[in-house]
Amino acid sequence: MSDYTIIGKRMPRVDSRAKVMGKAKFTADLKLPGMLVGKIKRSPYAHARILNIDTSKALALPGVKAIVTGKDTEGVKWGVFAYTRDQQFIQTEKARYIGDEVAGVAAVDEETALKALDLINVTYEELPAVFDPMAAMASQTELIHEEFPNNINIHVNIDTGHVDENFEKSYYIREDTFVAPEESYFQAEPYAVLARFDHDDCLEVWCPNGGPHMKSKPLSNSFKIPLHKVKIRKIAIGGAFGGRSEICPADYICALLAKKTNCPVKIVFTREENTIATRQGHAMITTHKTGVDKEGRVLARETTCYMDGGAYSSTGPIATSVPFLSMEQAYRMGSVRYNGYRVYTNKPIRGMIRVHGRGFACGLDTQLDMIAEHLGIDPVEMRLRNSRQPGEYTSTKSYVDSCAMDETIHKAVEASGWKEKWGKLPPFHGIGIGTNSVQTGFPMGIRGGSQSFIKFNEDGEATVMSGVVDNGQGNDNMLVQIAAEELGLLPEDIHLVSADTETTSSDPGSYSQVSTFVGGHAVKIAAANCREKLFEVASKILKVDPGNLAAKNRMIFVKDNPEKCVPIKKVVRVSLLNFNSVNAEGGYWPKVDMKREWVSNPYGQMCEAFSFGTTIVEVKVDPDTGQVEVLQATAAQDVGYALNPLVLEGQFEGSVAMGGQGGMLTEYHEWKDGRCLNPTMLDYKLPLACDMPKIKNIIVESLDPKGPYGAKEAGMSIAMSAAQGYSAAVSNAIGVHMDSFPLTPDKILAAIKKKKSKAD
Amino acid sequence: MRLPRFDYLGPDTLDEALDLLATHREEAKILAGGTDLLVRMKKGLLTPKFLISLKALNELSYIKKENDCIKIGARTSIADIIASDLIQKQARALSQACEKIGAVTIQHYRGTIGGNILQNNRCHHYNQSDFHRSGRQACHKDGGKICYARDASDRCNSTCQSDGATALMALGAKIVLASKGHERTVDLANFYTTDGIMPFAIESYELLKEIIVPAEGGSSAYQRLAYRSAIDYPIVCAGVLLKLSASQKNIIDDARIVVGAMSRSPLFLAREASSLKGKKLTDTEAFKKAADASMNSAAAFAVHNVGATLEYRCVMVSEMVFRALKSAAQDAKA
Repeated sequence: MSDYTIIGKRMPRVDSRAKVMGKAKFTADLKLPGMLVGKIKRSPYAHARILNIDTSKALALPGVKAIVTGKDTEGVKWGVFAYTRDQQFIQTEKARYIGDEVAGVAAVDEETALKALDLINVTYEELPAVFDPMAAMASQTELIHEEFPNNINIHVNIDTGHVDENFEKSYYIREDTFVAPEESYFQAEPYAVLARFDHDDCLEVWCPNGGPHMKSKPLSNSFKIPLHKVKIRKIAIGGAFGGRSEICPADYICALLAKKTNCPVKIVFTREENTIATRQGHAMITTHKTGVDKEGRVLARETTCYMDGGAYSSTGPIATSVPFLSMEQAYRMGSVRYNGYRVYTNKPIRGMIRVHGRGFACGLDTQLDMIAEHLGIDPVEMRLRNSRQPGEYTSTKSYVDSCAMDETIHKAVEASGWKEKWGKLPPFHGIGIGTNSVQTGFPMGIRGGSQSFIKFNEDGEATVMSGVVDNGQGNDNMLVQIAAEELGLLPEDIHLVSADTETTSSDPGSYSQVSTFVGGHAVKIAAANCREKLFEVASKILKVDPGNLAAKNRMIFVKDNPEKCVPIKKVVRVSLLNFNSVNAEGGYWPKVDMKREWVSNPYGQMCEAFSFGTTIVEVKVDPDTGQVEVLQATAAQDVGYALNPLVLEGQFEGSVAMGGQGGMLTEYHEWKDGRCLNPTMLDYKLPLACDMPKIKNIIVESLDPKGPYGAKEAGMSIAMSAAQGYSAAVSNAIGVHMDSFPLTPDKILAAIKKKKSKAD
Repeated sequence: MRLPRFDYLGPDTLDEALDLLATHREEAKILAGGTDLLVRMKKGLLTPKFLISLKALNELSYIKKENDCIKIGARTSIADIIASDLIQKQARALSQACEKIGAVTIQHYRGTIGGNILQNNRCHHYNQSDFHRSGRQACHKDGGKICYARDASDRCNSTCQSDGATALMALGAKIVLASKGHERTVDLANFYTTDGIMPFAIESYELLKEIIVPAEGGSSAYQRLAYRSAIDYPIVCAGVLLKLSASQKNIIDDARIVVGAMSRSPLFLAREASSLKGKKLTDTEAFKKAADASMNSAAAFAVHNVGATLEYRCVMVSEMVFRALKSAAQDAKA
């Protein structure tokens, strides 16, 4: 459809060359003069009162420059919301999970810092610990946080009304419970942070992040220094997946050590620390009760979910809501009641993750398949009868504008050969479908918008400033593509200054799937404003109305007479000769319901756009070992508009790896008394490239009226629906609807045997 | 994670290496690839004063046929073994096992067969960082008195997850242990202790020099199960050898079954294998019975300490043995 020059084209990412050649600098690569090595002393107990911390021996060790404990923090607490501030950056009273921060050390080298950790003598009094949300709610022992009875951290209640009466009207009702344990991100880059205070007492920080402005604000609050004095710098980032959206206690500890020593301090996490002491995905126990009419249309649904939140709140209210919201967006339902409980346990802290609520979503889809089977309806038809349609409101009153859910279903069905395969595959071969929807943004109040500045240099190239961060998904490239398109330049003419809180305006960050929609949009508007200025000048040179001008390939030309043109460089120079610099700004604030709040008022416009995805998976199960071979995954997503299909396909493939191949088949943690037994890449079974199936990518475009060029969230609907597709395919292959995820071979084999013994 | 400090010794000849071992004994460890040793050192599980590298000892890298035996130098890379026609034809189980070790890059650049046989036992309660192992009592292998994998166990139940050792034991391999001025040859099946703390019956001054694989005919096979297709230790594995009667080519004269990744050492199951004597190559019922018997025997040793569930791993012993027997029989027929 487009006559775009750069947008919509398969363009290799601007950052890929540096990354594949090993030239990109990550936080752990950085070295500053006089830099010290920081290490964190962590609690080896899951729940213990801290009686005393003796640092004298450690301080006496030559080479140790500073030690910080809870005494140095002035008791500051962190929480994403005012009502969830429950985490001290360094614990003073008690440790609540194995890995909780109790002290920090800065020393001349790593060996000395590690020795110092051993010399810090912490006296603990062990307390009874709980590792399961149900046990935690029933526990009679000391609460994990005094002020939260029954260890219930967050309760989200959503009720659209008429639920009970609609159940009564239902033709068929099912209630099923699904479980899935916690999971880890395994970002390629373990967490690291480098901090220093400069000569103006400004705090400068380099660290992987989901949004630099989401780091600067809490650091400004904690150190009681103005926001402009906290400078989060841009750095290459090796993945986030939702796990790096908040401030990390290590950021604070590192900065505190830097302040105390007056030297730059760098902390680099071990893989184990990255697994246990950053964030994990929540373990969930979800009960869905669904009532349908004769045709399988959902009339009423009641969902209750217990989430293992670990030791602290983190993004608790969001995390407790998103699994439900994704499903209420994906499927219509007459009425719904949701109760989500996030429960404290003495396990690592849980946060947002790319596939948030694998058991929740897979459970809901599995139950739809069970109902379809009972009613004799094909699973595809079952989804089409309940799928979200454009122009509707979700149950929690969000208007859904663009929506091509049905098209993703139809196209995935076509490409996967569903019609030839469903019900016709040989024994232990299976095919399954999953559908999902993801928010393009969360309500974030005054921090929900993004602003961009653009200035032209005298050589005709442009510098673009944006708060958007790229933590692996290709945001830098997205910004460059948009700016080049709008300004009529080539991508190499754009110099991007981004993700630096000193030079860029506030931005909501990349973890709510909003970077393109909001941050990209801001750049688009700024660039269009800047182009206007160029056209003003060019119109005088070319002696035509600015409205008749267009820009492309470094030239400004007359639309209906392209021969008549002037180089952009010349236009800039003419402007400068006339005492006018060429620059502009532009901002975008999504029109969401500012009164919507996760717990107190979970109704109203959530975000401006929603993405929709369908994944169909075909598998072969070995009936003697329970091992699954994935033959093909077909992934179709309504992304609004594909700004760069090449990058998008990479997102789809990564999503199938994370949501499906890993998340549904092999990834889970093993524990012993709150100790994680598989924190490393050897023992936590992430899929390897050679484990991946053939993937068919289908990009569906619905041209969202509000998104830049029509774009909206891209990729995450695949991660979510891939999980559902994998689970449905395995269930179909073995003829048992599975209710415990991931679908490891032992569970599959047990299900096959159970079914066989019943049949005998 | 940091590698603790050590002195690196790089002998040029086997004699020099044996001299160094004789001098440093317990204080030294052999570096023959390092894919197991260096990882354990990084976790602080051992802190040798000296590492004696076999890097320059090309004299220990060979595969040759002598009489009825294949002799393999202990420092031979896994990739060389996979590439060997001789091993593929006459010791198929070893070839199949080596294909599963680590990943192609590890097989090619680092991993050696000697290192694979001597890879230390593993346990998900033991192969952990200093931090993980703090805040609780030390286990047997860590110098303590308890076992987290089996309640009230008086010894260490760490698991031998060597693919190579399981296949080699099935093939009836012997190993040559050299020390200064001395050499001894032991049956691999007799090389193991009954305690996972130190699973190998080897002296600190001895060096694994050579592996001798009998090649008197017979067909062998190796099967293993893991979660991933590479960079994964087996959670169950089995190696088998079938020797056919000289007079009747479709009758099994002798069989060996070895089950790996289920105990402190690969389990040589002589009684279970003997049930196959005199059975036809096509007698899958007999294979199934031997496989089930193997499962029952192996299950007594196994603990939950290498991932998956214990129940699943036990059941899979039967499946892996059965598949290996079928594969070996198939190979024999061909």
